[in-house]
Amino acid sequence: MNATLTDRYIDAAMRTVPEKQRPDLSAELRASIGDQIDARTDAGEPHETAERAVLTELGDPDKLAAGYTDRPLHLIGPRYYLDWWRLLKLLLWIVPVCAAFGIALGQTLAGATFGEVVGTTVAGIIGVVVHLFFWVTLVFAILERSPGDGARKRNAQSKEEPWPQWTLDRLPEPRESGARLPDLIASLVFLVLGAAAILWDLLIGFVPGTDLSFLNPGLWPWWIAGLFVVMALEAVLAFLVYRAGRWTVGLAVANAVLAVVVAVPALWLLTQGLLLNPEFFPTLVPDDGAEVAQIIVVLTGFGIAVIALWDIIDAFLKARRAG
Amino acid sequence: MSETEALETHLQELRRGTVVLACLRLLRRPGYGYGLLEELNARGFDTDANTLYPLLRRLEKQGHLTSEWNTDEARPRKFYRTSAAGSRLASALTEDLARVVAAIDALPEED
Repeated sequence: MNATLTDRYIDAAMRTVPEKQRPDLSAELRASIGDQIDARTDAGEPHETAERAVLTELGDPDKLAAGYTDRPLHLIGPRYYLDWWRLLKLLLWIVPVCAAFGIALGQTLAGATFGEVVGTTVAGIIGVVVHLFFWVTLVFAILERSPGDGARKRNAQSKEEPWPQWTLDRLPEPRESGARLPDLIASLVFLVLGAAAILWDLLIGFVPGTDLSFLNPGLWPWWIAGLFVVMALEAVLAFLVYRAGRWTVGLAVANAVLAVVVAVPALWLLTQGLLLNPEFFPTLVPDDGAEVAQIIVVLTGFGIAVIALWDIIDAFLKARRAG
Repeated sequence: MSETEALETHLQELRRGTVVLACLRLLRRPGYGYGLLEELNARGFDTDANTLYPLLRRLEKQGHLTSEWNTDEARPRKFYRTSAAGSRLASALTEDLARVVAAIDALPEED
């Protein structure tokens, strides 16, 4: 005999029910369906249409089974959604940036061309983002389905969370405006120390017993003079920010221009081999001096680019927050 | 969302807990799935089979209902009965519902 629609429906519903609940559940479901069909046939409906009507009304068997076994019909429910989203956002801020930096640095040190570095880095970032989404979501989906969860979910007062409950202490602090007196003083001190370090390096040298400078002595006097002019402008900018009491878009643009004016010539000089002293490492490290110098050039280049980018972005973020 | 849709959603939310209370009170006399479904609907608790059957299972798992198979008749049926814990839950729910109704009666009159 062919399986009836009812048999097929019950089979479909029992597929996702744990083995030991199956006999009991399927017998009860069969009886209930039978009762419902009988009620309709007693009212004069033919058996076949009654069966169809009853099963259609019961709906998707997987959904019914989920109701029986208390299985969630969502990947991540309201209990975990915010934690999932917060963690994901945090990781998406941190990990792709670090990965991109690491990949680009590694590729450059390995001697890849500019195109290869960009291509590999972009592919790497995409890969990292996809992995982050997948693994974080997977962990939370498993958490949502972890044992004993059903009982706790129904008990809204439950305090048994895998991490601390939200409290008032977790309200975000008011953000720093970046335009207070300590910020101004820090900027000025930093600029003066930087200028002093450059002068010390070129005139006296940091390595005792030699007059070797880290920077190319050929930069003196005009390139260095140009740098000092820009640094003076940065000091003026820091003062203007302090006077305005906050970062504005205009000030952030000025800051970006100054950062570019420093970073672009510095990177150009670096690629031309003019920024650092070519004698420095070969003299200090006689054996592998050339190789060390090459690595230092790449690290310096990345350092300049990252600092400039961060400086620019930071100012715009502060301007947006203040606005 | 149209007005009738919104009304449906709100009514559903308002009635959600009342079916549990009705089941616990009706099952002081043992009953089985379909019979209970009929009685609920006859008494004005609009309930679907696919919400009632899982609900009975859940209440049983929580210990508010006990169950027993009755094989006397041609069709074996699983009979549920409200347990002592279920009775206490029913009293608590009934009291709370009465409080809610009283609170609503005390609200400013409708236009």
